[in-house]
Amino acid sequence: MKRVIQWWTEERRAYLLLVLPAVAVYWAVMAFPTVFSFALSLTNYNGGPVFSNPNIKFVGFEHYLRMFRDQYFWISLKNNTLIILVSVFGQIPLGFLFAYVIHRKLVKFRGFFQTIIYLPCVISTIIVGRLWRSFFSPYGPFTEFMQKFQPGWENELFFDPKLAIVPVLFVILWMYTGTYMIIFLANLQKIDPALIEAARIDGATEWQVLTRIMLPSLSGVIVTASILAISGSLKSFDLLFAMTAGNPARRTSVLALYMYDTAFKHSPKYPLANAISVFMVMLSLVLILLVKLTEAKFGGRE
Amino acid sequence: MLKKSVFFVLVLLLAVSVIVPATLAEEPIKITVLNYFDLTSPGAERELNEVWYEFSVRNPHIIVEREDLFLDAFHQKTEAYAAADMLPDVIYMWPGGRSTSLHTLGLVKDLRPLLGEDAKYYKEAVLAPQAGGYLAQLPSTMTSSHALYVNVALLDSLGLSIPETYEELVAMVPVLKENGLDVILMGAQDDWVIQSCLFSMIVGRLVGDEKLNEILAGEAKFTDPEFVSALEFYAQMYEDGVLNRRIMQTDYAEVNGLFATGRAPFMIDGDWKVGNFLTDVTTGEALIPVDRQHEFKMTIFPAIPGEINKASSSGVVGVGFGMNAKIEAGSAKEAAAWELIKWLQGPEVQKMRLETAGTIPSRIDVTSDNIEPLVVERIRYYEDIAVTTEVLDNIFEGEVYTPINIGLQEIGLGFATPMEVAERTQEAFDAWFARKQQ
Repeated sequence: MKRVIQWWTEERRAYLLLVLPAVAVYWAVMAFPTVFSFALSLTNYNGGPVFSNPNIKFVGFEHYLRMFRDQYFWISLKNNTLIILVSVFGQIPLGFLFAYVIHRKLVKFRGFFQTIIYLPCVISTIIVGRLWRSFFSPYGPFTEFMQKFQPGWENELFFDPKLAIVPVLFVILWMYTGTYMIIFLANLQKIDPALIEAARIDGATEWQVLTRIMLPSLSGVIVTASILAISGSLKSFDLLFAMTAGNPARRTSVLALYMYDTAFKHSPKYPLANAISVFMVMLSLVLILLVKLTEAKFGGRE
Repeated sequence: MLKKSVFFVLVLLLAVSVIVPATLAEEPIKITVLNYFDLTSPGAERELNEVWYEFSVRNPHIIVEREDLFLDAFHQKTEAYAAADMLPDVIYMWPGGRSTSLHTLGLVKDLRPLLGEDAKYYKEAVLAPQAGGYLAQLPSTMTSSHALYVNVALLDSLGLSIPETYEELVAMVPVLKENGLDVILMGAQDDWVIQSCLFSMIVGRLVGDEKLNEILAGEAKFTDPEFVSALEFYAQMYEDGVLNRRIMQTDYAEVNGLFATGRAPFMIDGDWKVGNFLTDVTTGEALIPVDRQHEFKMTIFPAIPGEINKASSSGVVGVGFGMNAKIEAGSAKEAAAWELIKWLQGPEVQKMRLETAGTIPSRIDVTSDNIEPLVVERIRYYEDIAVTTEVLDNIFEGEVYTPINIGLQEIGLGFATPMEVAERTQEAFDAWFARKQQ
C-alpha cells in the first residue's frame, strides 16, 4: 500500500494527466486502426458486422500473396518509388536551394520569389490536379503549345507506360517544393549570422559556408523533411486522383489509389485493401528507419 | 373579478390551442437519404426545388436528411456505409453494376410488396428482378448505355452522311483527318466508359446475351472465339483510325464541350449524356443551344461485320431508389421511406426529369410538352434500337468486369492483346465462380 502511495505522486499524476489524452487519441485514430487493419488483412472479412460474425475466417497471408502476384501492385509500387525519389532528391534539394538563395540574398525581389514558389501549396490539391489535367489534355494548352513548334505533334505523354507518370512527377515537384523551401528558410534563419560572418572573415568561400556550416547545421531538418517527403509520397492520392485517376490502364496508379480501387471501386475487396494498407505502413517505417540510420551515420549537429 | 376570470379563460384557451395540436400532431419521422446528384448539371436547381423541397412541403411530418454525392465519391461512400452496416434509409442505386453488393447481400428491401397495385403505372420491363433476383430499387427510367451522338451539320458541311455500316464509317476517317477533326470522341479516362458505352454494345452485336448467360453459368468461356472476336473488333477500331488513343486521356466532362464545339462529328456515350447539353434554367445557357439542337442526332453504332444482333444497343433498366432492409416492416419509418421513394418516382418528378435531362420515364402516365429538341431526339432514338442487350457491368460482378475495363484501355494503348485480356478475364471469372460454388 505504501509503495502504491509512493508511486502515485503528484508529479506522476500530472504526467499521466498530460500524456494520457494524447496517447488515447493516438491509439484510437492511429495505432488501433493499423493493428486492426493488419488483423483484418489475415481474414476473409469483406464487409458487414466485424464482431461475432461466424463467416469471418482466418486465411493467413493469402491476400499478401495475391497482392504480390498482381501486376498493378508492382506498377503502383514503381510509381510510388518514383514519387519518393522525386520528393527526396527533387523537392528537398530544390527547396533548400531556393531557401538558400533567398536567405543569402543572392537575388532581388526575394519576397516575390518566396510567394511564387510557395503559392501552389495553398491551392486545393483537387483544383491543382484538375488544372494540370486540363493543361496536359490532348486538347489542352500544352498540346497547342507544342504544336506551335511542331505542327501535327500528338500528345501521347500518357500512352507510354514509362512516360505516363512523368507529368505527374513534374506537378508533384512544382507543387510541394515550396513547403520545403519554407521549412529550410525558417531553419536557416536560426543559424547564428555571426558564425557565417566569422567564417567569411576567415576566408571561407560561399561553397564552404554552405557545405561546412549550413548543411551540417540543418541535417536534423533534412531528416525531418525527408520523413515528411517519404510519408507524404506514400500517401499520395488526391493529386493523382484528380489528375489521372490512375489511368490510362492504371499506369499512373500509386499504392494509395490501388488500395482505393481495390476497396471501393466495383466490387469491394477489403481484405486485399487491408493488406495493401499494411504494406504501405511497413514500407513507410522501413524507409523512415533508413533515413534515420543515414542521418546517424552522416549527419552533423545542429 | 369578471376581468380576472376572462383573463384565466383566455390563458386556458391559449394553452389548449398550443398543447393539444402538439400532442395530436404526428411525431416527425427522420429519413436519411444517400442521393447521387450532380450539382453542376443544368437541371440541378429544379431538382432541388421541385423534388426535395416540394416533398418536404407536402410531407411536413417527414424530415429528410439528404447527402448528395456524385461519381466515385458516391460509390465510395456507399461501399463504406455497406461495410460498416450503416446504410441510410433510402439509397440511390443501380439495378446491378456498382450497386451489385447491395442487391446480392440483401442490404435493401424487395419493393414489390410495397408497390402493390401501383405496379400498373410502370412499364412492365422496369419492374423485372434485378441483380439480387428481386426488385431492390424502383427504377426511374430505361437507360441505353450506348448511343452514337452525331453532329449532322458538321457531317453535312463535309459532304458526309451518317454511316450505316462500319465500312462506311472507316471510309470517312481520311476525310475527317484531312479536316483536322477527330472521328469519335469519348470521355474515357475513367475505365468504365469504354466497357459500358461501347464494348457492351459490340459484345451484344457479336456475342449476344445467350452466350453471355452461358459464360455466367460456367458453360462457356471468355476465351471462346465469339468474345475474343468482339475484343479483336474493338482493337481493329484503333487500327482503322475510328478510335483514337486520346479518348483515354479525355475526361468524362471535358468531352461535352469538345463535342458541342464540333471537335468531331461523332461521340459515343450513354443516352444520359443528353442532360449535359440542355439549357440550365439558372443561367439560361446551354452547351448546345435550343436553336442548334436540331443539328444533332442520336443513333446506334453502324452495322458491324459478322454481327448476330442487328441494330442492337446495350441497356439496362435505370437507376432508382431502394430502401434499407433493416427498416422494420410495417413501421411508420417504412411508410415514410416508401412515401419518399414513391414521390421520387412519381409523375411530377419523372416529368421534371424528362424536361431537364430527357430521362425516359419508367411510368406510363408521364409526358410533357415542355421539352427541348434533344430530349425529343432521345425519345426518338429508342426507335432505332431493334434489340437491347446486356451491359457487361450489369451482369458480371466487379471482380470479373474489372479486368475487362482495364484490359480495354490496355488494348487501346497496345499493352495487351485481345486474347490476353480474355484470358485474364476468364481467370478472374474462374476465381469468382469457384468461390460462388463453395
